[in-house]
Amino acid sequence: MEKPERIRVLYIDDEINNLNGFKASFRLDYNVMIASDTADAMVMLEKHPDIRVILCDQRMPTQTGVQFFEQIRSQHPLPIRVLITGYTDIESVIDSINKGNIFRYIKKPWTDTDVKSAIEESNKFYIANSLLTLKNEELEKAYLELDKFAYSVTHDMRGPLMSLLGAIDISKNSDNISEIKDTLGMMEKSVQKLDDFIKSIHEYYSLKRGQLQISEINFKEMVSDLYDLYGIAGKLEHINFTVNVVQNDPFRSDAVFLKIILNNLVANAFKFQRHDIVGKIVDLNITVHKGNVELIVRDNGIGIQNEYVNDIFKMFFRATSSEIGSGFGLYNVKDALTKLNGEIFVTSTLNEGTTFKVIIPSK
Amino acid sequence: MTPGNLNFIVIDDSKLDCFIAEKIIRNTGRGAVVKSFIMAPEALEYITGNNGPDNNLKTVMLVDIQMPIMNGFEFIEAFEKLPQPIRDNYIIYVLSSSINENDISRVRYHTSVKQFLNKPLTSNTLSTILELID
Repeated sequence: MEKPERIRVLYIDDEINNLNGFKASFRLDYNVMIASDTADAMVMLEKHPDIRVILCDQRMPTQTGVQFFEQIRSQHPLPIRVLITGYTDIESVIDSINKGNIFRYIKKPWTDTDVKSAIEESNKFYIANSLLTLKNEELEKAYLELDKFAYSVTHDMRGPLMSLLGAIDISKNSDNISEIKDTLGMMEKSVQKLDDFIKSIHEYYSLKRGQLQISEINFKEMVSDLYDLYGIAGKLEHINFTVNVVQNDPFRSDAVFLKIILNNLVANAFKFQRHDIVGKIVDLNITVHKGNVELIVRDNGIGIQNEYVNDIFKMFFRATSSEIGSGFGLYNVKDALTKLNGEIFVTSTLNEGTTFKVIIPSK
Repeated sequence: MTPGNLNFIVIDDSKLDCFIAEKIIRNTGRGAVVKSFIMAPEALEYITGNNGPDNNLKTVMLVDIQMPIMNGFEFIEAFEKLPQPIRDNYIIYVLSSSINENDISRVRYHTSVKQFLNKPLTSNTLSTILELID
């Protein structure tokens, strides 16, 4: 039986006796792989990217250990390289250590203690290194997001403000009351857009920074606010809003995150309607079943063009020039779902409507 | 000043900004045909199709940068691929609320763009650039 936490070690030597001896001595402590030439070793490296430590004999017929390490360094930078050699090769070993090709060397004939300490030290170095790589990748991602964020924030906040300034300028120079009223109506939308954007930023940060706060969720209670809010909007815009909740089992999750998901999906269903049709609908169906909740939000609105369906969860992506979208809502939905281990599925047809299905397991 | 001696095209995904621009253009009395598009591809279609105004006047184009589906830069790149005789009829200005250095220097790189203008568009700015066209 292989224990997953055993360190995977690759040993390369052209003398079969040495290989067998090595395997016999260390197979209980480590996950040992052996290769009798560097070509075999290459194949194993390709096959097992989780090899942490490579021990290689210096004197081999086709290639020296130093040459082999130099060769694999760029392709397989992660495994830690340990050279095994007699003292006669000391010049080339020193050179190789100085070039950074080798982390440790073990003098031949090796003792178990030498090998063990080299592997343990190498493993520590490996862990520190890969943690650093991981952290660097995370940092890079965070910076990229921050750049994108800063750029879009200036646009999405400054845009509506500049529109307002322009509109104020026009109104100041106009004596026509009905024209001024028209302009005021548009200014109102602009202010609402800015406010929506600020709310989304707030959601974004509660999602990024927030720890999950798990509590019992009563979906009927949760959607009643939503129903009050959108029921009124629905009446004004002749959108038939139906909500159906089936919850016979208890469900535990983070109420704030769930609300972000529900609010954004329902808000989108209301936003992206086809204004010229009769019989506009938004359906919300919630079913708690076998430890999962299934949320289905369906509308018969403008739909999403096929080619954009995969992009809608990206930050600041907008698939339509309809003014109401900030490109933030679905990104937040996806983020909240990731934290709740949930999944989302979209089916959409242009000019027919969109259905979002969300499945979240109870915590 | 001859009234109505220029055509105008405004490309902006914000309806309010289109409205403002149109208003200010009309106030100058220089606009012969003024058209607004909230989607850049539609503007491109309008330019390449033969349904434009047949008044032989030059067209001033005000283009926003951040727009969904096709942004201002993508529009300008598509425009620059059009045949020279079509391009010669247009004078492009980028009109944006962006204060991003990259955006501004990227506009400078496009020779087909005459100038970067800051939002909001005012009568003063518009008069100044129109004087330079004459």
